[in-house]
Amino acid sequence: MSSRTEMHVPLGGLNLESPVIIASGVWPYEAELWSPERLEGVGALCTKAVSLNGRAGNKGVRVWETPCGMLNSIGLQNSGVRSFLDDYLPLVRGANRPFLVNLVMESEREVRESIAALAEVPGIPAIELNISCPNVDGDGMAWGISAESAAKAVRIARSEWKGALWVKLTPQSPDLAGVAKAVEAEGADAIVCGNTWLGMAMDIKKKRPAFQRVVAGLSGPAVFPLALRTVWQVCGAVKIPVVGCGGVASWEDATAMLLAGASAVEVGAALFIDFELPRKIVAGLSAYLAEQKIDSVSGLTGLGRHE
Amino acid sequence: MSCGGSAPRDYEAKVAGSRALGDGSGLIAVECEAIASAAEPGQFVMVRPGSCGDPFLGRPLAVAAASGGIFKMLYRVVGRGTELLASKRQGDSLVVRGPIGRGFFSSRGDTPLPKKVLLAGGSVGAAPLLFAARRLGMAKVAGVSMGVAGRGWEGFAEWLKESFPGVALFSDDGSVGTKGTALDGLPSELPADTEVWACGPQGMLRALAAKYPSDGARVRVALESRMACGMGGCLGCVIPTARGNRRVCVDGPVFTAEEVLWNEFAD
Repeated sequence: MSSRTEMHVPLGGLNLESPVIIASGVWPYEAELWSPERLEGVGALCTKAVSLNGRAGNKGVRVWETPCGMLNSIGLQNSGVRSFLDDYLPLVRGANRPFLVNLVMESEREVRESIAALAEVPGIPAIELNISCPNVDGDGMAWGISAESAAKAVRIARSEWKGALWVKLTPQSPDLAGVAKAVEAEGADAIVCGNTWLGMAMDIKKKRPAFQRVVAGLSGPAVFPLALRTVWQVCGAVKIPVVGCGGVASWEDATAMLLAGASAVEVGAALFIDFELPRKIVAGLSAYLAEQKIDSVSGLTGLGRHE
Repeated sequence: MSCGGSAPRDYEAKVAGSRALGDGSGLIAVECEAIASAAEPGQFVMVRPGSCGDPFLGRPLAVAAASGGIFKMLYRVVGRGTELLASKRQGDSLVVRGPIGRGFFSSRGDTPLPKKVLLAGGSVGAAPLLFAARRLGMAKVAGVSMGVAGRGWEGFAEWLKESFPGVALFSDDGSVGTKGTALDGLPSELPADTEVWACGPQGMLRALAAKYPSDGARVRVALESRMACGMGGCLGCVIPTARGNRRVCVDGPVFTAEEVLWNEFAD
């Protein structure tokens, strides 16, 4: 059994009891799922995406299975920041573990108003800023595509938010290292690398793209090697902590992310099919530490980068 | 926003037996006391017949029967996941998550049960209705009407006759039972103190809602949807309702025909 200290990770302004974080868009606000028993092994949770105003999300097909993974096109369905604070925050806070409010980077005005609403409420430890969304004030590309627009997004959020600020990158950027450096320079406390990978599916019975928006985000074990590569690149570019996210489905995957330089991992799609995954990752990491005679999980971070 | 029962759990379970019904359909029985003792008609389980994440997601299948620590599911092979499921034999392992959602009973809230229930199903949509008939008692069932595609469903149709004595059977091509759909076996006006409980393809349920436009509150449908998690997390399975988007998995799968916005509901 793992001791509390060996799994403990101080990271980006938060103190995690384990390096396993539930990614945004996964865990529903069903009271029973927030009990300590159902969250065994979970170091922190990211809420489902929160935007200033409620969003109904996308119409039509929203999920599509792929080999060892899935595509999703949910469309950030949520009931808005006010509803989050009134209806769901008490439940999230009641879980008694660190959490991050996953905030959609919308227009400058919207994100400022959202952060102002979050800042009025005590006890929100951190924001995870999702810069995969389009900059509707700018060129319509996702905020996280270029270093310049990513810097602008973080500058806006940083000026409003005094708590811990993590920034979740999009792997669609052709310049991830540049984006990561810009995010670090603007004062982010940690980087989450990354998010779903744009893909698509064709419904061959209907002879039409499966999704109304044509493209959708790919996640699950299929993307793990891609995500591991981006984590390696980003960890080589910045000094702030990096959280590895993408296809983690086992303790071995989590270990690989840590060895590549990540300080923790986020789990998403794999949690859809295995509730026990966080506990299993912690158990596997603990056994690995013992076998490798390494004192704590922090000692794994970046170990694979040494000659 | 909470589910009817408690949040589902994952279980590693053993196949207690399987019975092919011909042409790729069949019944599979699974030993799982936790699910068998808690399940109600209309609830479903997510079944993972594969290994090593392939196929990746669970398959949502309605509970067709549950007693004595064993629950049954009805399947029709439509892809690799159901093909794997069909290949399972007694003693094989399966990972099952459940029971999930609000069934025909718990979704009613405080609404008392009607005097009589008409059951209407399309193909494997018969599963929750079979379970419902057992729980209601046949004395409460005013009639059973089932539809299948036709050729290729003969074995399945035989099983339907065996499971629902007196079933009115219809097929699209007329090769099994009477040519027509399950709706043809229902009265044109819904009698007083009677409800219709239905499960089947979306087109059939939409037509059912249209058949009783002013009695939608007495038509209860168990819906199917693509879904990833079966715990309310992914929001992949939402349907448009008068109260906004609702998740088929944990807000349903049983809804009244009245609350579903059928015209906005994509096929």
